[in-house]
Amino acid sequence: MRNSEPGSPVSSIGGRLPAAGADAPLTRLFESMRPDLLRFAHWLARDRAIAEDIVQEALLRAWRSRDALKDPSAARPWLLTIVRREHARLYERKRLELVSLDEVVETQASPRFAEPGGELFALRHAIMRLPIEYREPLVLQVLGGFTTEEIARELALSATAVLTRLFRARNKLRVICGLAAAPDLAPRENLP
Amino acid sequence: MTCDEARLLIGADPGAATTALEEHLATCAACARFRDEMRSLDADIRRALERPPDIARPRSDRQPPRWRQWALAASVVLATLAVLGVWLLRPSDTLAREVVAHVQGEPDSWLATQHVSAQGITQALHGAGVALEITSDKIMYAQSCWFRGHYVPHLVIQTARGPATVLILRHEQPRARRAFHEAGMSGVIVPAEQGSIAVLTRGAGDLDDLAGQMQHDVHWLADAH
Repeated sequence: MRNSEPGSPVSSIGGRLPAAGADAPLTRLFESMRPDLLRFAHWLARDRAIAEDIVQEALLRAWRSRDALKDPSAARPWLLTIVRREHARLYERKRLELVSLDEVVETQASPRFAEPGGELFALRHAIMRLPIEYREPLVLQVLGGFTTEEIARELALSATAVLTRLFRARNKLRVICGLAAAPDLAPRENLP
Repeated sequence: MTCDEARLLIGADPGAATTALEEHLATCAACARFRDEMRSLDADIRRALERPPDIARPRSDRQPPRWRQWALAASVVLATLAVLGVWLLRPSDTLAREVVAHVQGEPDSWLATQHVSAQGITQALHGAGVALEITSDKIMYAQSCWFRGHYVPHLVIQTARGPATVLILRHEQPRARRAFHEAGMSGVIVPAEQGSIAVLTRGAGDLDDLAGQMQHDVHWLADAH
């Protein structure tokens, strides 16, 4: 892990910095969004430890580029975008150990991991099982609040492709929730 | 808007509310029901996404894939065999080690391309108390070398598989045949009538034939020093 800059919001993992100096408001803003960013990264990376690394790196990048953030009200989507790109970069930089998610989920779906509201439990794991091609736009839309056009721009896809992926993602989850799968009306895409 | 278009839009974004969609839903109960289902599902998805499942196991708890266990077992077996092989082929004593060291000290001995004259062979054998029956055209190198307190014949004999070194060790008397492999050389020391004969070659090779032949061709003289 890289060393962070002194005074940046990532000078310690998970640590909160004293808000002082000219950048203090920005520091507080970034810190306030850390839980959101971590949740977002966790859904992308499917691993909490990796998600923490991603957020750490993303916040460091954001801090270095803080001058580019003209409007603090746009900080959330700006940071989410940086997190998403950092996640993509991480996988480009090194092939992470691929863990059979089915195996992991099966292992952890034992009674000690069960929780009240089994349907939500199943849904969470079903979302985790979605291929990244479906999971990413879904998380961007539902958690990130991105529009179809924004997702398309971020993922370098056409709006139609994004609609298709979102439709299929939800269609897969319908089945998990006991609903009949809707006929696949989306244009063909060579995806799982 | 058609039902297909409406369902694609609803499936992609249950919260979407365009004029065209609303007009279609007003006249299509099936699509309206579909949107209700998807909005209900989306509420669950939203709740689900609020807290990712903690599926990341501690790394130390992760069971390695089965192939990795087999690979680990295979590597242990290979390592054991390698150690065993080195142990079995190691120079069995200091004699073998010194023979190897001596040959290493004369690297040019294996580079000779012309056979040694009969006079040269005689000089090499001088004082060692041995005579050879081997024809001189197969001997490419012959020296009388100081080894363990005695002059011993050091020969390089051309064989069908390349040059091989022979040291005739009148004063070394091992109890049994010893094979060894060290420093890229294979060797064998065999007991002889009045001493022993060491045969070495580069790389791996079966030297027992040559060792056996030398046991036959070396004659031990009675008037040795």
